[in-house]
Amino acid sequence: MAPFPSESPPTLRREARDLLLVAAGAVPGALLRWRLEDVGKGLEGVPTGLIEADLVANLLGTFLIGVIAGLRPPRPRLILLGGIGFCGSLTTFSSWMLEISLALRRGRPDEALAVVLVSLLGGLAVVTLGLAVGRRLGRSRLRR
Amino acid sequence: MAAPLDNGALFVAIGAVPGAWLRFRVVNHFEPMLPRKHWGTFGVNLIACFAIGLLVSLEGSCGLAAGRTLLLLATGFLGSFSTFSTWIAELHATLHQRQRREAVLLCGGSVLGGLLAVGAGLAIGGS
Repeated sequence: MAPFPSESPPTLRREARDLLLVAAGAVPGALLRWRLEDVGKGLEGVPTGLIEADLVANLLGTFLIGVIAGLRPPRPRLILLGGIGFCGSLTTFSSWMLEISLALRRGRPDEALAVVLVSLLGGLAVVTLGLAVGRRLGRSRLRR
Repeated sequence: MAAPLDNGALFVAIGAVPGAWLRFRVVNHFEPMLPRKHWGTFGVNLIACFAIGLLVSLEGSCGLAAGRTLLLLATGFLGSFSTFSTWIAELHATLHQRQRREAVLLCGGSVLGGLLAVGAGLAIGGS
């Protein structure tokens, strides 16, 4: 690619590149979440299957965002593609809250509380693990 | 695996791109105006919760949103617009920095606010 002339800052080009990176991550992320929902529905009864499938997508994406955030030095393009695009789209807050809200409406506060706690504590555990893995990967790259 | 058009993957993908773009731009846009960046993610998630409640109730009460519309708007757009991973990563950061009050506000505010937003969406949609 030709070097960008220094007198015109490449803001538009950079913005287009950033949006392209986010989109390139978002499509496979959303498709994987959708496939995981289908797998969950196939395995069990619809409500629990849905809840568990969201949990799998959310925990997987949370682990991966930890890995990406743990890498040193920070990788800005990987953050856009993998973090904001892929992990951001693979994981979802709205469906998680909808499931909790529907469980409460069914008169199952125990189920709602379980979904909140498992997702929250599981999420904090896997992001911690991911950060540790990311830092380790960063170190081994430096050693090589 | 069936062709993308048959199994709805195209609808999910078409919804996902503007969802992720909007989240990225909204969070970046509000970052300088907020005391902490995580309140941008919080706002995005709450808007998505309201919208998904509204969508689901419209489907339930008058069949306005069904099948592929839900794949496009709920699974694709709102699923990508809202995020769990960034929220947890930001919550982890506040805990790591020992900002307990901020962590409790972010966590409790997101869960209670999210439930209220879904409930408001469901109610306005008539269910």
